[in-house]
Amino acid sequence: MSTDQLWSSYGIPMAKLLWKAQNVELEGIGSLMVVDGCLVEESDLGQNFFVTPASVGQSRAKVVSELLLELNAEVEGSHVQRDPAEIIENSPEFFQHFSLVIATQITGPSLYKLADICWAANIPLVIVRAHGLMGYSRIIVREHTVVESHPEQIVDLRFDSPFAALREFAESFNLDELDSMAHSHVPYIVILLKAVDSWKRKHDGKLPSSTADREQFKQSIRDQQRSDMPGNQNFNEALASAYRAWTPTTIPSSIRSILNNTCAQNITSETPDFWIIARAVCDFVQNEGQGFLPLPGTVPDMHADTESYIRLQTIYRAKAREDAAAVSERVANLLASIGSSPSRIPVQEIEMFCKNAGYLHVIRYRSLTEEYATETARSKTIGNSLAGDPQDNIAWYVMLRAVEVCKTQFQRYPGESESHYVSDQQTVRKCVDAFMQEHGLDPALIADDYVQECVRAAGSEIHVIAAILGGIVSQEVIKLLTHQYVPLNNTVIFDGIKSAASVYEL
Amino acid sequence: MALPTVTQSLPDADRRWRDIYRYLDRPGPFMAEGFEAGAAVKEFLHSIKILVVGAGGLGCELLKDLALTGFTDIHVIDMDTIDVSNLNRQFLFRASDVGKAKAEVAASFIMRRIPGVKITPYFGKIQDKDEEYYNQFTIIICGLDSVEARRWMNATIINMYDEDDPETLKPIIDGGTEGFKGQSRIILPHMTACYECSLDMQTKPTTYPMCTIANTPRLPEHCIEWASVLEWPREFPDKKLDGDDPEHIKWLLDRASTRARHYDITGVTYSLTQGVVKNIIPAIASTNAIVAASCATEAFKIATNCATPMNNYMMYVGDQGVYTYTFELQKKEDCPVCGAVAIKIQVSPSATLQDLIDLLLDRKDIQLKKPSLRTSATSLYMQAPRALQEATRPNLSKCLSELIRDGEEVTVTDESLPISIQITVRFE
Ligand SMILES: [Zn+2]
Repeated sequence: MSTDQLWSSYGIPMAKLLWKAQNVELEGIGSLMVVDGCLVEESDLGQNFFVTPASVGQSRAKVVSELLLELNAEVEGSHVQRDPAEIIENSPEFFQHFSLVIATQITGPSLYKLADICWAANIPLVIVRAHGLMGYSRIIVREHTVVESHPEQIVDLRFDSPFAALREFAESFNLDELDSMAHSHVPYIVILLKAVDSWKRKHDGKLPSSTADREQFKQSIRDQQRSDMPGNQNFNEALASAYRAWTPTTIPSSIRSILNNTCAQNITSETPDFWIIARAVCDFVQNEGQGFLPLPGTVPDMHADTESYIRLQTIYRAKAREDAAAVSERVANLLASIGSSPSRIPVQEIEMFCKNAGYLHVIRYRSLTEEYATETARSKTIGNSLAGDPQDNIAWYVMLRAVEVCKTQFQRYPGESESHYVSDQQTVRKCVDAFMQEHGLDPALIADDYVQECVRAAGSEIHVIAAILGGIVSQEVIKLLTHQYVPLNNTVIFDGIKSAASVYEL
Repeated sequence: MALPTVTQSLPDADRRWRDIYRYLDRPGPFMAEGFEAGAAVKEFLHSIKILVVGAGGLGCELLKDLALTGFTDIHVIDMDTIDVSNLNRQFLFRASDVGKAKAEVAASFIMRRIPGVKITPYFGKIQDKDEEYYNQFTIIICGLDSVEARRWMNATIINMYDEDDPETLKPIIDGGTEGFKGQSRIILPHMTACYECSLDMQTKPTTYPMCTIANTPRLPEHCIEWASVLEWPREFPDKKLDGDDPEHIKWLLDRASTRARHYDITGVTYSLTQGVVKNIIPAIASTNAIVAASCATEAFKIATNCATPMNNYMMYVGDQGVYTYTFELQKKEDCPVCGAVAIKIQVSPSATLQDLIDLLLDRKDIQLKKPSLRTSATSLYMQAPRALQEATRPNLSKCLSELIRDGEEVTVTDESLPISIQITVRFE
């Protein structure tokens, strides 16, 4: 697979991003392109690792892409020496063939237009800006789906509803007859399955639900411990996991809403693989799954003899394979119904989906237009954050918005010129007040300290802040391109003074 | 007639450092106490000596970050040479550098790329250097992957502090990463919590050096990693290793067991194999970049006072969205390194000296390996020299009440610590 990415930029964050992206293991990135209309200046030497004194006066896009590719010979690189703003204005079609676009230090009308272009073409856009000791990044994608979110652990052991093979395995143990050594190596899963089974027999098939029930349930487990074996590690594990035994196996509401989503329910030849498998899983749940998701088939580590542990693993895994096979058959039928080849979706992909069915994520990002238009802006989020935790970073977001307005108006950052230092502070203050009023918020919530600090920073790109943002953004870009792990939704603000990041859905 | 001189002309400082000077030329509401805008602070930033401990994933990033922040006199210390496995993540190293000293290669790469910065490498152990060496630095940044080395640096720097000589107060900035998780923190000796204060926050290290895995396995884990990291991809280049697939684990178990037998290592079991495979946490370049840059940001703020430093610990997690938690880690009164009071231990008077040692070995907050114990009057048990060990060994089975008084102070020394620990033993 070859993936093209566009990295349009004015400075360091870009350089950092590019090279980070290559470092993280990643099969996807085949090539990248640097777009920059500037020539290398001396101020770049104090910020950018991918320029040298000899490159002053040369095309920054060219110099940076060359030094960057030195780091990874396997990535194809290219550059375009054109001002991104000019391309956005005159050649919007330029962006069509990229899988992802990163916009660094681009603000105002050029940014809004770029966001529109990417939104219309369904191309993920990542915006990143550094302003002195502050950093900002925003992700915009119409829809991002994640199968492998890599949760800390995947646990689905079916204590309340063991399938036949599991029930038989548990029944094959007779705890009273085992010698002490064997008794101390019975896997806790078996101990719990037996305890649940005997509880349900005595309680009309119900699980322990009240606090008293649960205590009694745990006592029934303690009663089976033997005094001649020290440690009782397997019984301690059973007690520690007892809550799993009385928690009914259910489908989380976030997963239900994915399975019932219209994208899954209305399958066409255009439907992406994710939604076809989701539909198959949905149908599986309603039919042979008997209300349950496909079994993931993973078994946590536990105190047990190797043989019983491997048998348990094999039993759970066999059931998981069986469930995945049923889902695969449904996928094949769905594909046939829309005229696609059954080989379109590989079996491994379906198995992976089934294993992670309880941990899927679908993120629908808000567009930049929704964020910027007063009617759809998240004024409440901003207001609540301003009124809440003093450690919060939302004030810097308001400042960045105000600075963006000033930059558009004066074509320079406030604070860049010493002679306007005081008047720039007044201008920024006015922009802040206007922003707050427009969003129905009290301007006094933004202290003058923030205004002064923003004018002091004057749009400076300090390498270390750009590097922090570059690291964060490259990580998010990898997540977006590989559909692994959960990307940020949708804005992160980093405050390099307190050294803290805050995330908002704006 | 003047001799011809070769001078490399440096870029104009005001233009080159324009962005950093915005902060140094003007005061602001978030500046730290003592900040004075102007030439002096710039001169200070460009002239102080800063030490980077470690030239691995974090160290490479740190050197670049510091050099691009205006530090010009940087020292780096690292005892490792470059391995093939370092090439993809430690961006200053090339295939032709394999076998060379990390500190030296990293230093010369940065000096070639960024003129005007002087990086002095030392290829060797941190323990080779004495107080005089460490005393020349204004700030020390650690980008290490071992708990041992960090403890040694922490205790050494904190011990150097002499309250009559403010120059001996060296801020330590410490960074660490593991997969998507990382942290950066500031240690101001005797003012903030030190590394030892928070030792119980450390989990056991789960990664092993590639050269150990490839060439000198000692532990069963090394054999398992060899099978999973090297053998599996060689044998099944297209198949992803699945820690939940018993067949995959059995294959690894088989390979690892053969290797273990060859090296006379015991303890390779099915459950250990699965545990190791599921816990492999690869270093991630972007986490290194974030943590190193955070450490360098703090160095910049501490060196210039242009903004207040963080207080004092930032945790970063990047697998589910982006998350940081910044908080003030509290100093421990009975910290063996920076605390003022001795650690109190309660034991039964009939307990033996061996019982007391076992109790000490169990404590996660002091993490000892081979402790030696003495009172002000006598040696209770000494690990070395041999003659003394033999002479004191009979004490191990004696009751404590025969050896010490209730409430007596005992000094504990250990090879894992460059200092001694005071404990007060109370009889229950
Ligand atoms: Zn301490």
